[in-house]
Amino acid sequence: MDAGERQVQVRFTTRLGSDLRVEATAFSLPVHLNRYGLSQIINTLLALDGPRPFDFLFDGELIRTTLEQLYLSKNLSAESILVLEYILAVGPPELQSSQPEKDWVSAVNGVNPSLILSGSYDSFARAWFPDGTCGSVLKGHSDAITSIAVAGSSNDTDLDVITSSKDKTLRLWKVPLKPSSSTLSSVRIFKGHAASVQCVAANPSNTQVCSGSWDSTIKLWKIDSEDEDNEDEQALKKRKLDGAKQSIAQVTAFTTHKEHTQCVAALEWPEDRYIFSASWDHSFRQWDVETSINTLTMTCSKALHCLSVGGEGSLLVATGGADPVLRIWDTRMPGTVVPVLQLTSHTSWISSCKWHRQSPKHLLTSSYDGTVKMWDIRSKVPLQTVEAHKDKVLCTDWWREDTVVSGGADCEFKLFKYTPIEWL
Amino acid sequence: MLELTVMKNLMIAKPPTRAILPKTSLPQAPPRNTVGEIPLEFYKDEEHIGYDRAGRKLKKQARKDQLDSFLDRSDDPKDWHKVYDEYNDEYVELTKEEMGMISRIRQGKLPHAEVDPYQPYVDWFDWDGKGHPLSNAPEPKRRFIPSKWEAKKVVKLVRALRKGWIKLDKPKEKPRFYLMWGDDLKVNEKTANGLAYIPAPKAKLPGHEESYNPPVEYIPSEEEINSYQLMYEEDRPKFIPKKFDSLRHVPAYAEFIKEIFERCLDLYLCPRTRKKRLNIDPDSLLPKLPKPKDLQPYPTTCFLEYKGHTGAVSSISADPTGEWLLSGSRDGTVRVWEVQTGRCKKVWDVGGSVFCVAWNPNPALPVVAIAVSNDVVLLDPEVGDEEVQLNIAKLLAVQPSTSEPTENTPLISWKRHDKLRGIQLSHQQNVVRVSWHNKGDYFQTQQQSCFGTSTIKAAKSKPFPQASWPPFMFVATKMHVRVYNLAKQELSKKLITGLQEISSMALHSGGDNLILGSKGAKLCWFDMDLSVKPYKTIKNHKEDINAVAFHKSYPLFASCSDDLSTHVFHGMVYSDLMQNPLIVPLKILHGHQKGVSDIKFHPTQPWLFTAGADSVIKLFCN
Repeated sequence: MDAGERQVQVRFTTRLGSDLRVEATAFSLPVHLNRYGLSQIINTLLALDGPRPFDFLFDGELIRTTLEQLYLSKNLSAESILVLEYILAVGPPELQSSQPEKDWVSAVNGVNPSLILSGSYDSFARAWFPDGTCGSVLKGHSDAITSIAVAGSSNDTDLDVITSSKDKTLRLWKVPLKPSSSTLSSVRIFKGHAASVQCVAANPSNTQVCSGSWDSTIKLWKIDSEDEDNEDEQALKKRKLDGAKQSIAQVTAFTTHKEHTQCVAALEWPEDRYIFSASWDHSFRQWDVETSINTLTMTCSKALHCLSVGGEGSLLVATGGADPVLRIWDTRMPGTVVPVLQLTSHTSWISSCKWHRQSPKHLLTSSYDGTVKMWDIRSKVPLQTVEAHKDKVLCTDWWREDTVVSGGADCEFKLFKYTPIEWL
Repeated sequence: MLELTVMKNLMIAKPPTRAILPKTSLPQAPPRNTVGEIPLEFYKDEEHIGYDRAGRKLKKQARKDQLDSFLDRSDDPKDWHKVYDEYNDEYVELTKEEMGMISRIRQGKLPHAEVDPYQPYVDWFDWDGKGHPLSNAPEPKRRFIPSKWEAKKVVKLVRALRKGWIKLDKPKEKPRFYLMWGDDLKVNEKTANGLAYIPAPKAKLPGHEESYNPPVEYIPSEEEINSYQLMYEEDRPKFIPKKFDSLRHVPAYAEFIKEIFERCLDLYLCPRTRKKRLNIDPDSLLPKLPKPKDLQPYPTTCFLEYKGHTGAVSSISADPTGEWLLSGSRDGTVRVWEVQTGRCKKVWDVGGSVFCVAWNPNPALPVVAIAVSNDVVLLDPEVGDEEVQLNIAKLLAVQPSTSEPTENTPLISWKRHDKLRGIQLSHQQNVVRVSWHNKGDYFQTQQQSCFGTSTIKAAKSKPFPQASWPPFMFVATKMHVRVYNLAKQELSKKLITGLQEISSMALHSGGDNLILGSKGAKLCWFDMDLSVKPYKTIKNHKEDINAVAFHKSYPLFASCSDDLSTHVFHGMVYSDLMQNPLIVPLKILHGHQKGVSDIKFHPTQPWLFTAGADSVIKLFCN
């Protein structure tokens, strides 16, 4: 250690278990230390068997600079003791499996921990099992799949899956949870959109589905079977006339929201009461399901392609669109023009963004620049960047808390596993 | 002896001079004789020589003979300076002074030693104003007689003054007040010959550092003095302050002569005339335009590329909803792209170089028109829902005509395109352009005529149900634009462009403004309410402009050219007729490797599609 270098007083705190706790005395450390150096010091203090990376929080923000820069940027007095909280750092992910598909992978869904669903431009959706085998192939759409939603399951053996497609329809499938390769046909078909359906979302109680389309409408559908029986007789008759061999039940929308002026590109149904929708008309809206009222409209300056609701109390909305900036908005501040956070690291359009299902701080984005980035909203710099695909990454999702699935225009479907971490 | 006689003569000849003889000699006894200055011959025969004061006769002394006088002379050693005084009849012994005087005379000097012949000359005469006359002739008379000619001249002048022929200058008024502390450096003052006064540069006044005993802070340290050596000579300080014990220890200023000389050079080399410069702020000549930053959104960066064509992309067209993009290429294919992802949805091999593609602007009727060599092909891109698809299928089903060609048959035949399941319209010549009416009910085609000029022809048939007749059609010839009123079937306007060759045309959605791109790399904006001449002509590109485009909803327009660049402008058209359109250049977009052949704006977003001869289509986003 250089004798002439200035030193600062640092005290470490943590919320980790007692085995990872260091004594709460102040250490005097040289100012040139960055995260790596601090992490080394914690490792030395704890005398761990193998090295474990730590991240350091100051004032709710991750440290990404040296201590000297931190002091300067925060205008701290050099005499004051710096209190740093350390948490386990997220290590770089490992590629678990890479599955070639026939065509561009346009949608992935990892809601269910026992299987992953992917949709492709070859109009098929597939169910993948953890060992990397392709289970069921969902065959029925006539054009590219754009989005996949999971609507829970009515029993233990299979899973209700809704897919939306460029052929202007949505389809409901019952995907078996047990690993078995089979070709499935859809159980129900949702017709009514006049243009490509771009996105689909199911409500948490798995009774309803909403879909957004290029005809700039949001349609709400009921998926339970009782509803099908209550279908009006005319439709039944029509279906009978269409031919007995078509046993697929056809569902029509019960509500349509037409406030958006352009393509509805993303939907999310975080709670039964309300839906969030993002559109190319630069706005994202909140809809009350009961009253069918648009309760919140926030306007961005760019066309929006993806949306995800998360954060503490599901109050933050992350949107990505036709520029490389991920914007995070606070729904408690309606009418603001400036987002709470603007995260810039991508170099091309953001194709999808997903909050971690448990952690209110972690976020996943994929971009046309071929990378998948994980963000911690306490830092302006992405936690991890993965050069996931050789071409555009079209979709990404979390699976089982620590795994990331992504699909891209290089016809690959990939799984990345992060080191098991405590997301809080 | 001879000398003595001379001396005697002299003494006799000038008896009174004896009185003024040396004052230094002893006081002399008055002469014995009192006869005065009479010739002594009068007493020649007398026994006396004259009379004394008492009037008694002075008896002549007895003459000594030669021997006696010789003996006397030889006895008396002082005899040789004795002189016989005839007047008093006695021998006078000469004093030492008188002897000296005689010797000075003999040497040719002045007799009196105390007289200085070379004493300074005192000019007592007053020379001032006393000219030296040329001649001593007296003044002539005419000097004292008044001149007749002068009198006449005076009379003339007096008359002229009285009659007002001569005007006298008004006496110049001296300014009563002047600026006592007026600025010496006033440069605006004009001198008599019209040149502006250029004041000499003023030398800097000495400050504290020039003091012989400056404060310590003025004295540079040793290091500072050494650092001066590293500086350029011009940058070095001219004077380094030093401390002296007293003022008398201060040496002469070493640079004095050099500085004075330089200052003289400064004054001497200073230009005597002031250069006339136009004092105009160049910024004030530019029109006050808003900053591009304030005119956002407009396309700036390329995020997506649509790759797949193998030949130059000649034409592009966007779907009215903005979901799809249609492109035609020289490689004989027409492709439909998904705008959001850049995926190619559909490829049609039309079997010929594609000149132009156009997507029907009616969103309810997604049909595309493609100009391929001599044909125009109408195709179904299969993007509508079931009902729409049924409609299109009905429309595109054409019964093949079996009748023989007669004079009444139209020039253009409608046939079924079997391979691509569409309609084929065969023309006589290459179709270079096809464009739809805004409502999507009509389209027009443009053939390359034999003379190489461009003509636009309205399609002869009406394939689609009639909604409303398009009132105006714009036809660009090589140099002019003709506006036809189709309802009245007459020429309503002819726009004079002043361009060499029009290459492209785009109409503002309001209908009153038109932009033209030309082969001479010029862009013209026509405000048709204003005039038939261009409202603005912009020469922005280096090479031929290939296409121009207006945005449907945003106040944007753009032009693309063979010089690989696309220029984006803000073109605001105001509904107030008194306000002229505002045109602001916003951005130059680069990125294509070869010339940009076509541009189209996204119908809803402020995005721009550019198609290049390098077979790539780019999407520029805000």
